[in-house]
Amino acid sequence: MSLDLIRDILIATVPLLVIFPTLFAFTTWLERKALARIQNRVGPNKVGVPLTRYGGRFSLFGLGQPLADGIKMLFKENIVPRDADRLFHLLAPILALIPAMLVLCFLPLEFPWTESLLPVQAFLLDGAVIFFFAITGLNTLAIFMAGWASRNKYSLLGGMRAIAQMISYEIPLVLSAVVVVMMVGSLNAAEIANAQADWNWFVFTPWGLAAFVIFFIASLAEINRSPFDLPEAESEIIAGYFTEYSGFKFALFFLGEYIAMFAISGLAVTLFLGGGAGPGVAALPWLSTVWFIAKIFALIAVMIWLRGTLPRLRVDQLMGFAWKFLLPLSILNIIVAGFAWHAQQQASGILKAIIWVACLLILYATAKGLDQLNRPNVRPREYKYAE
Amino acid sequence: MSLLGGGIFKGMAVTLRNFVGSYFYKDRLTTNDYSWRPSDKLPQRAGEYPKEEGEQLRDTTTVTNYSRNFPMLLHDGSEPMDTIRCVACQICERECPPQCIYIEKSTEKKENAGGKPQFFPATFDIDVSVCMSCQICVEVCPFDAIVMNSQFELSTPDRFGGLLLRRDDLLKSNGYYHKIHPEEATARDKRIAEEKAAKEAKKKAAAEAAKKMAEEKAKAEAEANEGTPDMEENTE
Repeated sequence: MSLDLIRDILIATVPLLVIFPTLFAFTTWLERKALARIQNRVGPNKVGVPLTRYGGRFSLFGLGQPLADGIKMLFKENIVPRDADRLFHLLAPILALIPAMLVLCFLPLEFPWTESLLPVQAFLLDGAVIFFFAITGLNTLAIFMAGWASRNKYSLLGGMRAIAQMISYEIPLVLSAVVVVMMVGSLNAAEIANAQADWNWFVFTPWGLAAFVIFFIASLAEINRSPFDLPEAESEIIAGYFTEYSGFKFALFFLGEYIAMFAISGLAVTLFLGGGAGPGVAALPWLSTVWFIAKIFALIAVMIWLRGTLPRLRVDQLMGFAWKFLLPLSILNIIVAGFAWHAQQQASGILKAIIWVACLLILYATAKGLDQLNRPNVRPREYKYAE
Repeated sequence: MSLLGGGIFKGMAVTLRNFVGSYFYKDRLTTNDYSWRPSDKLPQRAGEYPKEEGEQLRDTTTVTNYSRNFPMLLHDGSEPMDTIRCVACQICERECPPQCIYIEKSTEKKENAGGKPQFFPATFDIDVSVCMSCQICVEVCPFDAIVMNSQFELSTPDRFGGLLLRRDDLLKSNGYYHKIHPEEATARDKRIAEEKAAKEAKKKAAAEAAKKMAEEKAKAEAEANEGTPDMEENTE
């Protein structure tokens, strides 16, 4: 291995390892602030510039909070339960972080200083999308490992919930991505992003919109975000698989979770929201990185917003939603997309518009029908002792 | 036909309104001075802080109509135990999903607000660390004796005793109920009055009917007495 290659690899990967953990720290602050405002609170606003008195007058909207949290996490005691499997207890948070970090390099993020070094960017790999899904799947293993190694019934419950949930939601997630792969005819992330130049984003097509909605919902479940945060469910199973984690191991889980959030949002941006496309990119190529990260943050803002809005689902509702609603809809979406794409090849203008409206109607009607079919039979509560 | 997922958008509109509103209306930020409250003012028992009635309403209870927290017991007059509505029937205790209510029935009857001798709860405990605020006790209570309080500041340094609300902690006047949940309390009082009126009307009707029946019976008996000799004659 030549020195040049090592240098190239470092230049291409170190930004990922620096930028995203930094963004993670910022996102925790953002999330706490947004959730607080949604609940009419102020959120963290005391910790500011270090070494001034408590941040004092330089509190900067509490922006010092992530730093303080990080220091706290580093110095907290690492408690391992007596009966825990110590090796796997240690390995689980590391294994949770690695796939999340690894998939970041499949995103078509071009940093301005890497232009001449493109060959080392992993997103040029044919089949980057497949790799993305394959590697994200490892996350489930880490979570179950954490649940199992903790020797705690709540952790194990959380781990089992995680497996059931992630396997179920992986299917609609992949099937909704299939539509885009069909349209582009490639699994290469860069090619998918390039195919959406000039505002031809897939989210602006009927099948792309349906796929995007399914993908977004399934990705919420895949990364354990509210309202699908059953594996951690603080109020039911006391943080689930990381009940027994403290200190830096907990911080690793936390980091892994947020990095996974960036990664899956990044994939959603690549597949549906045009990658780094946006105004001004043609003149200034580095703007594509800015646009890409801005779009990721737009998706994350919606995730935070949803977390502040929706209550957690029940286990049966969660499973029913994946198998009885998302799965049939995403399969239908593939069929609709295939037929419509072939039909619109010859058509133009008004006929194309008719096809699109018909697609939208079919998809919406099916979704509505599935919704009606799956309505639970709700009866008023029957009291046993009263009256 | 409602829009698919419309409920989610509605909810998101509410949270967005809160998010934006919190930047423009200072009075939304109710927790603003909370972190600066001196520690000697913190409650020692759940629901104890603070003493003054007026302040209690402003600081530790919400007055919104539909907020609810933990149950409380209602009484009608100034002396709580003389006018307590609860008759210790224990329906709520048995219906309670997390089983957080503990009731001991009194051994003797005592006159309550209605003027009737009734049993009363000698012990009525609610463990608010177990209670899930489901309001089922309120729904099943046939005497309108238990309703939801909206007092939210229940933190206490005593994890066990402090979170176990005793009968006397739970007893609140109907006036207090009217203060915190005006609409609900008015509706409830109206319903109680209507039911009472209906009951009385029914009682009256029943009494009249009984009187009428008695009269008719007497008349019939009189007729029968008159008629019997003929019948006897006929049969013979």
